[in-house]
Amino acid sequence: MRFNYGGSQALAMRSAQGAKGDVFASADERWMQEAATRGLLAGDATTFARNRLVVIVPRTNPGRIRSLKDLARRGLKIVLGADAVPVGRYSRIALRQLGADPALGPDYAARVLANVVSEEETVKAVVGKVQLGEADAGIVYASDVTPAVARFVRAIEIPAGANVIATYPIAVLRGSAQPEDARAFVALVTSPEGQRVLAKWKFLPADAQH
Amino acid sequence: MTARAPRNGIGFVAVLGIAATVLLAAFVALPFVALLLRVSPAQMAARLGEPVVLDALRLSLVTSGAATAIVVLLGTPVAWLLATREFPGKRVLEVLLDLPMVLPPTVAGFALLMAFGRMGLAGQALGAFGVTLPFTTVGVIVAQVFMAVPFFVGPARAGFSTVDGKLLDAAATLRASETFTFFRVALPLAAPALLAGAAMSGARALGEFGATITFAGNLPGSTQTMPLAVYVALQSDLDTAVLLSVLLIVMAFVLLLGLRSAPRGWLWNRDRART
Repeated sequence: MRFNYGGSQALAMRSAQGAKGDVFASADERWMQEAATRGLLAGDATTFARNRLVVIVPRTNPGRIRSLKDLARRGLKIVLGADAVPVGRYSRIALRQLGADPALGPDYAARVLANVVSEEETVKAVVGKVQLGEADAGIVYASDVTPAVARFVRAIEIPAGANVIATYPIAVLRGSAQPEDARAFVALVTSPEGQRVLAKWKFLPADAQH
Repeated sequence: MTARAPRNGIGFVAVLGIAATVLLAAFVALPFVALLLRVSPAQMAARLGEPVVLDALRLSLVTSGAATAIVVLLGTPVAWLLATREFPGKRVLEVLLDLPMVLPPTVAGFALLMAFGRMGLAGQALGAFGVTLPFTTVGVIVAQVFMAVPFFVGPARAGFSTVDGKLLDAAATLRASETFTFFRVALPLAAPALLAGAAMSGARALGEFGATITFAGNLPGSTQTMPLAVYVALQSDLDTAVLLSVLLIVMAFVLLLGLRSAPRGWLWNRDRART
């Protein structure tokens, strides 16, 4: 089995341009939908995992960020995923939803976004810049805070009411040279065994409620 | 064996040369042609005024221009030294200056962060003076300089090495100082090599992506150069991505062709240097 990792959008674009593959797993329903619209899928996509967003700050905490409210303080260096990257889109939605909290205020998202110094092309790039202490904070998936990463960063939870739960669909590609094996792989990922492995890495189960 | 094969005949090697040229040229040209065919001139014109395109264009010209100037200004004396002196550790220095070429650009970006980032080895000292490089336009230039250095120093050094030693000796016997010899003899004679090196490093800076996005980040107007804008657009808006790519290609083509075909005696008067 060979894995080809990349931003969902990049993988979808590459598949559309004729890159070969058996299974497409996306961190965003939008790009799976895009793949379906372009006729790249054999059959329907199924959800195999869900993920929530967390704010991460370096353990050295150069921006002295202790709560979500601190993110709106002027002069901070915040990195987010670019708007076209799922994590970036979700981050912006979550920030807007946090504005409903009177303690944060309706202009919360605008004030946080004014602190954005870089729009990264993958969520791993967000993790990297926070991990190295170059950025004061970033927004990533809970699953990105792996044990190795957690040595350098601290996560600040985003309340479930304002959080965006990413849904991860998986599907067999029409161009697959071994559709049987491809379907077996999808079945394994969605099986209780596969879900246990995903849960270990902080993914929410596929059937989690919002 | 006294007779030499005529150079203008169609021998085996010539046929091989022509075949390889056609193959290689087609291989390199085809992706560019594919990009160019993708957009009509009308589409190009319509999108040329978009802020994201103009911002990226302006930023790319400013940063790659500055990076090339820095590389040439610092690289020329280094190349002269390497070409004219023997000193301990010279080989190591040469290899060091070539190293950025083999480093994957993203790795280079991380290394730059660890060196010049605000938590980096030298970056903490810079921070004491209020200088931070990541997420700034100056950071973009730093990343480009790092990646472009080998493309100038190599050719420039080779250019200085081919300057006829007898001319330098002659200048010395006429009691010319090294400074005078460097500016009036060596520099004019090596000018074509220096220009070629400047063009290569300029093109490298113009196309720089991985080190830039990793070290300086990606924000329209301050760090999003054309290659970064292409990459971001590629993920959502293929037409803008193609337009930006075509612009980038045209700029690089003009730059490389222009500096390569610079007339003899342009910039320095070579003929005067000879006499």
